[in-house]
Amino acid sequence: MIEQIKPSRSEKVIFIFIILLALFSITSFFLIKDKCLFVKNHDPNKLKFENSQNIAILNVECGNVIIELYPETSPIAVERFKTLIRTKAYDNVAFHRVIKDKLVQAGDLEFGKKDNLDYGKIGTGKSGLGTIKSEIDNPFDYKKGSVGFSRTSKFNTEDSQFFIILDDEPLYEGEYTPLGKVLYGLDALKKIKYLDKSIYVLRPDFINTFRMLIN
Amino acid sequence: MKKLFHIIILISLISPVKANTLYELIKIPNLEIYDLNTPNKLRYVYAKQPFTIGLDNNINCYNSSNTDLKKKYEIIRNELDKYDQKFLRKINLKYIVLCEDLSISGINTAGIPDNVMKTLIVDIKFNNKYFKRVLHHEVFHIINDSYKEIFNENEWSLLNDKNFSYAECSTCTDKLGLDTYLNTNGFISEYSQSTASEDMAEVYSHIISKIIPKKIDPILTNKINFIKEKLALIDQDFKI
Repeated sequence: MIEQIKPSRSEKVIFIFIILLALFSITSFFLIKDKCLFVKNHDPNKLKFENSQNIAILNVECGNVIIELYPETSPIAVERFKTLIRTKAYDNVAFHRVIKDKLVQAGDLEFGKKDNLDYGKIGTGKSGLGTIKSEIDNPFDYKKGSVGFSRTSKFNTEDSQFFIILDDEPLYEGEYTPLGKVLYGLDALKKIKYLDKSIYVLRPDFINTFRMLIN
Repeated sequence: MKKLFHIIILISLISPVKANTLYELIKIPNLEIYDLNTPNKLRYVYAKQPFTIGLDNNINCYNSSNTDLKKKYEIIRNELDKYDQKFLRKINLKYIVLCEDLSISGINTAGIPDNVMKTLIVDIKFNNKYFKRVLHHEVFHIINDSYKEIFNENEWSLLNDKNFSYAECSTCTDKLGLDTYLNTNGFISEYSQSTASEDMAEVYSHIISKIIPKKIDPILTNKINFIKEKLALIDQDFKI
């Protein structure tokens, strides 16, 4: 008959510790894998807006980003932006330029589309609608969540690319045409993929959809 | 030594990319914001560390002490507050870079204007005797560069005596004196005689600083009127 050996107290402690460690590792794996776990998804249908005709909903991997557009500040630019949103031009377009905690940039309709991504040219593409005049004369406070139209190093070259800032940028006033501000969902933008060593993102995240609340 | 070099390379490679909005906007490194809360929306920035820019890295400037910056900033603000936002926008001036020992190709200079980048680099250690006036002199270069067709150098040169000709460039002559002439002879200072552009800038800076000699000759009178008339073409509301 085999004599049963009882585990000592220290062996029990080690066993429990190993079990806890395994549980912690498995939980952590799933928590870390889901980057959107703690990001609140805002449902625009459950929210009330004063200017619902100027509300746009940018849907990204971690949820909805609800943006109010300011046609009074930049009428030409907002009109262009609305046109592109209404024609679903921004769907499946990459966030090709992302700086951690500073900004996300998307909207290259020529070289930034998911099915036609061109890493060599991304950021230089055109919409086909031509460039528009910079609208920088009206005061605009570039606070965190502000949305602006991107341009080349020259003014009056705005086309389709836009950026959203994740931190205050007072120097942008008078430099970039403002489009609006994020009302809800800035946290979802903070989860957009970025690289540590480059502002241009390899295998970037994409816009799922971009729609006006009222079409 | 080799190990140290490798460590430095490794650190630089693993350092995350940092956003530098000022560099992104005006292409000058090592700057930080000094003051943005100005009525005319001029943005004052300063050199946190020395910087080198330009073709062949020929422009150099150095960082200043906080005390020097504070002292000179008050003077600069006081002078540049004379320009309103509308005028500054028209002439393409938005950023004032404060640093010291500014030089271009080894030659010390009071300021370097760049209307394309909307920037004026100012040497805060430039000669105190002329410092305030020289700020306006440099502002004129921004105006001139933005409106070359209005401030036509040939038209200006015709105002001079027929026998006079300017030097090939502002550094191609030893006429560098900045003292205001008591007895004018078509020019307001010795430096005025270097080039048409410097002459205009000297006249302009004297007008803005209200340092006009009591007795002035007809040529200089015409030059003063020229500057005033042309400025009115840029901005009728600009008060001189």
